[in-house]
This record gives sequence, structure tokens and C-alpha cells, in this order.
Amino acid sequence: MAFASKRLGKELAKIHGSLPPGITLVTAEGFQEWLLDIQVLDANPIYMNKTFRLKFKFSPSYPIEPPEVTFLNTADRPVPMHPHIYSNGIICLDLLGQQGWSPVQNVESICMSLQSMLTGNTKNERPEGDEQFVASNRRRPRDIDFYYHDNTV
Amino acid sequence: MDTPSQPDSLLSRGSHLSDPSQAYTFHTDLDNLSGGTTETALGASISSIHKISTLNLRHTVDLRAITYGGTVDENLVCPICRCPFVDPVLTDCDHVFCRACIDDALSHGELCPVDRLPLSQATIARAPKMVFNQLDALKAKCPCCGNIFARAILENHLEKYCLEAMVRCPGSLSEQGCTQVVKRRLSTQQCLHYPAQCPDCYETLEQIEMESHRQTLCRDRTKLCDYCEVEILRCEEIEHKAECPDVLQICKWAQYGCQHESKRRDLYLHADDCHFKSIGPMAEMLKVEISSLRDDVRNLTETNQLQERRIKFLESGQRASDRPMDLMDLSLASMPEAASTDSLDSGHDYLLSLLETQQSRLSHLSAELSDFQGKNTMMLFNETLPIKNELAELRSTQQVTCMHVRWLMRFRMQENQRRFGVSPGLASTGGPDGGNGFGSDITLSRRLSDSSRDVITKL
Ligand SMILES: [Zn+2]
Ligand SMILES: [Zn+2]
Ligand SMILES: [Zn+2]
Ligand SMILES: [Zn+2]
Ligand SMILES: [Zn+2]
Ligand SMILES: [Zn+2]
Ligand SMILES: [Zn+2]
Repeated sequence: MAFASKRLGKELAKIHGSLPPGITLVTAEGFQEWLLDIQVLDANPIYMNKTFRLKFKFSPSYPIEPPEVTFLNTADRPVPMHPHIYSNGIICLDLLGQQGWSPVQNVESICMSLQSMLTGNTKNERPEGDEQFVASNRRRPRDIDFYYHDNTV
Repeated sequence: MDTPSQPDSLLSRGSHLSDPSQAYTFHTDLDNLSGGTTETALGASISSIHKISTLNLRHTVDLRAITYGGTVDENLVCPICRCPFVDPVLTDCDHVFCRACIDDALSHGELCPVDRLPLSQATIARAPKMVFNQLDALKAKCPCCGNIFARAILENHLEKYCLEAMVRCPGSLSEQGCTQVVKRRLSTQQCLHYPAQCPDCYETLEQIEMESHRQTLCRDRTKLCDYCEVEILRCEEIEHKAECPDVLQICKWAQYGCQHESKRRDLYLHADDCHFKSIGPMAEMLKVEISSLRDDVRNLTETNQLQERRIKFLESGQRASDRPMDLMDLSLASMPEAASTDSLDSGHDYLLSLLETQQSRLSHLSAELSDFQGKNTMMLFNETLPIKNELAELRSTQQVTCMHVRWLMRFRMQENQRRFGVSPGLASTGGPDGGNGFGSDITLSRRLSDSSRDVITKL
């Protein structure tokens, strides 16, 4: 835990200093679970005037292993519509998988990647087989082998 | 949460009082282990300066947990742990990481974390010396006293100088054999690990904790000042009284006769009304003048006395020379028998005074000398430390080179043996053209085998 908490401590200090526009820290209690809000800044009609809440879960081997990042679904914080985001908040992004992850990534860079993933999206839809996946999946997001179909979105 | 970071033999205790992140550990049963022969020699000379050095403990600093002064150059920050590099390595794709960080990352996949190019342990090398130098020069905050030092000397500072770092209790040197540790600040007295009573709350606790107890923990640590009624610490009452605005104070010209007395905060009001306000400075000036005059008089008296003695001495010499005697007898060697009257006394007096002044000058010089010696040893130590490190590095590089040379020689020898077999014989019987070509090779192989004979016999 020592290594992860030291690194997260550094990140937290930097986050308290400044964050890119559209990203705000909600809570960062301890070094296991953080909540951040993100907004899409340009005028994408799908996400206009909406705020989304991200939940980061860190393992003791962070940043060697990726954190578990999901969108939360609450009354005023919906799960964004996106062909790579399931309605239970699980995100299909290679950056967050064991293969695509790199220890030089951090909370801020993940938020920015997700921001730009939403910004570039034009399809107001869920991934294929969303209902079935949401109903059947009991695995943790990082253990799921997504097929990263296309990198254009 | 358990971190098996320290081997069992090391008793590690973080500075839980000052810093919760455990930025450093010290080792109570492995002291003086680091020293080779030079180390102990230096240690001895230093202990003559710092009498308490035998109490020193070895400290290990966690370079990722300490605070750095100012902003650290982004190029010196590891992209994995986001700290200034610790033991940096360079990959063949020109990225630098801490050794521990890249080891960890590679155990999860053999890719460079930055550019995701294939990467393996084999293609990782120690970072250039320049990077190490830059890292060594980083300004790091001491986890104990909070002062800023170059990162490279932080451990040495904690080990030998930091007043807030832990050392063995001075009681460990006496027969009571105390095994506790104390801050260096408190190690100049004797062992403070004995029960004592807090003068504020009458609780019994160890004397060593008294200071922090009276400052922060004691339930009766505060009281209202008798004069200004501000809450103050009981243990700092005297200091407070020296500056309390409500304590009665006498006028600054009291010694010249002013009877005025008022609260410290109102004293400035009196300053203008004081009848002594014009006399006071004058009297002060006169006092200075008089004391300087007194000094002059004293000096003059001394010179006068010296002159008188000198005159007496000369007079006695004169008297001696009045007698029928050779000029030789006037020499100092014959003084005692020549002058047997009261003039002998004055002569001796003069010599004695001379001796005295010489003696005082001598003691002054020897004091200066020992002072200088102390400074010199310190300087020497500070300068030798980096040199020693560099030497060790050079030595290891040289060993590696030696190994390479040895390997190359053996390789060359074997190749030559294989190529020529009984080459000298062949060369002598061969044709003129071939003979020349072979000859040069043979001389080369001879030279090699000569210089590496001892190596080969060892192998
Ligand atoms: Zn690192
Ligand atoms: Zn690279
Ligand atoms: Zn210090
Ligand atoms: Zn003691
Ligand atoms: Zn008390
Ligand atoms: Zn007061
Ligand atoms: Zn006065």
C-alpha cells in the first residue's frame, strides 16, 4: 500500500493545486476510492449541461496496475450515453485494461481521456448487447476482456 | 496494510512524532556498520569534535517520502512514482525511471510505460552520472528538523548533526546502560529516562517527555498571566514576563534617578515627559567616554610600569658596568653573579613580565590552533565524502574493465592457438610472403601472452 499511497498523495497535492477545466474532485478519502465529476466542455448536444460522476478504485499495486474506473448512476449524475459505456457504468476503454494501461497514466490523464472520448462521440446509444451484459455480468471491470473494436470514438 | 519493509534484525521506528509518512528509519543495532578502515579513521577525528558521536545511529531516508524544497525539474521526476528519481536507469528508448519502478512495471509486461515500445531488463542501464549529480544536488527537507539540505548529504546530516534526529541515550555509555533513544538535542545531558513530577499537573512521567508534555499535553499547562490575563504556558511564564505588556517596568533612565514606573505598554507615554530625557542620553554618553578614558589610563599605567622596570634593569646594568669588568660580563649569562643587589630583583621582574606576556600569547595561539584544527577536520571530512563515493564507483568500473580485458585476452589467446597450433615452427619454414604475414601476427600473440601470462596460469 505504501507505494500506491505515496504516488496518490503526490497526485492529490497536484489536483488540489489545479485541475483542467471540466474536471472537479468530489472526494478523495484515503487512497482506495476517489470520486471525480467531469463535464463535456464543447457544445455536444448529447452531453450538454450534464455532469457525470466517476469512481476510481485503486489497488495496492497502483500505478503498476490500472485503477478500476466506472461511472456512477445517481439522481443528478446519469451514466453518459456512449457506444463504449454500458448502462451500469462500466467503461470499455483500452487505456483502463491490463493491456492498454501504463504506469505513467494518472487520475488526471484518465479523466481527460474520458472527456475527449465523450467530446468526440456522435452516437446517442449504448454498446451492442448492453442489456444482456448488464444483466449477466458479475465480474469486476478489470477482469473483463473487452474487444476494443474501433478506436475512432 | 502491513509493510514488511524492514528485515527483522533492524529495529525500525519512524519519526511518528513529527511526520506521519515515515520518511526515515534508524537502526539501533547496526550502528558503525557502514565503515571501512577510512571510515573509522575519520570517525575518530570527528568524535574529538563531537563528543556525543558515539551515540550516533545509522539512518535510512525514504527519498520518496521526503519533501523537496522549491520546484523540482520535471525532467528529474519519475513518470511512474512521480518523485525525483531514486537510483535512476536509462532505457534504450531514452526514457529514465527509478530502478524499482521500472522493475515493477516490467514484471507486469515488457513494454516501456511511456512509449509502449518493447523493453526488457537487458536493455536497461544505469542512468548517466550527470543525472545522479543533479539528483544529489536536489534541495531536500530534513524529515526531522525541517531544514533544507542537498539530498545526497541528508542521511549524513541525520546520522551526525540533525538536532531533532534520534541518537542513543547518553545513559548507554554509563553503567546504567540505558537502551532507549533520544533526540540529539537532548543527548548532551545525562540520561533523562527517570520518573519525574510535572510541576503543573503533579503527574509522574519520564523526564525526557517533560518538555513536550508541558508544552502540548499537560492538562494544566496553561494559566492566565497575572498581569495581562492572556492565556500562557506555565513553562514559558518567565519568557512571557520579559515581554508582557502589563508588567510594571521602570523608566530606562532609572539609574540616573528617574523614579517613574508604569506598565510596559504605557512606558512610551512617559518617554516624552521624563525629566531625565535630555540628561539620560548625555549621562549615557559621558559614561561611555569615562570608561574609554579609564581604559586609556589603565593602558598608560601598564606601559609606565613596564618602562620603569626597563629603566631599573638598565640602571642595574649600568651599575654593573661601573665596576672594573670586561664587556663580556655584561651578557645576560653572567647577570646573576654580576648583579647581587636589589637591582637583581628588578631585572628578574622584567624578565618575568616578559615571560608572562609570552606565555599568554602562547596560550592564545594554542587555543587558536586547536580551533583551526577542528575546523580543518570538519572541512576535510566534508570534502572526502564525495571523493570516497567517486572512488568506489571508479573502482567498480575499473574491475568491470579488467574483467573485460581478461576475457578478451583469453579469447584472443584461444583463437590464436586454434589458428596457428605450433605457429613458430610453421612460420620459419613457410614461404617469404606467408612468413611476413604470419610473423606480425605471431609477435602480436607473443606480446599478448607475455603480458597476460599470470592471468593464464591462474586460469
Ligand atoms: Zn519512480
Ligand atoms: Zn520508452
Ligand atoms: Zn535535520
Ligand atoms: Zn536513557
Ligand atoms: Zn503536567
Ligand atoms: Zn502577561
Ligand atoms: Zn523617567
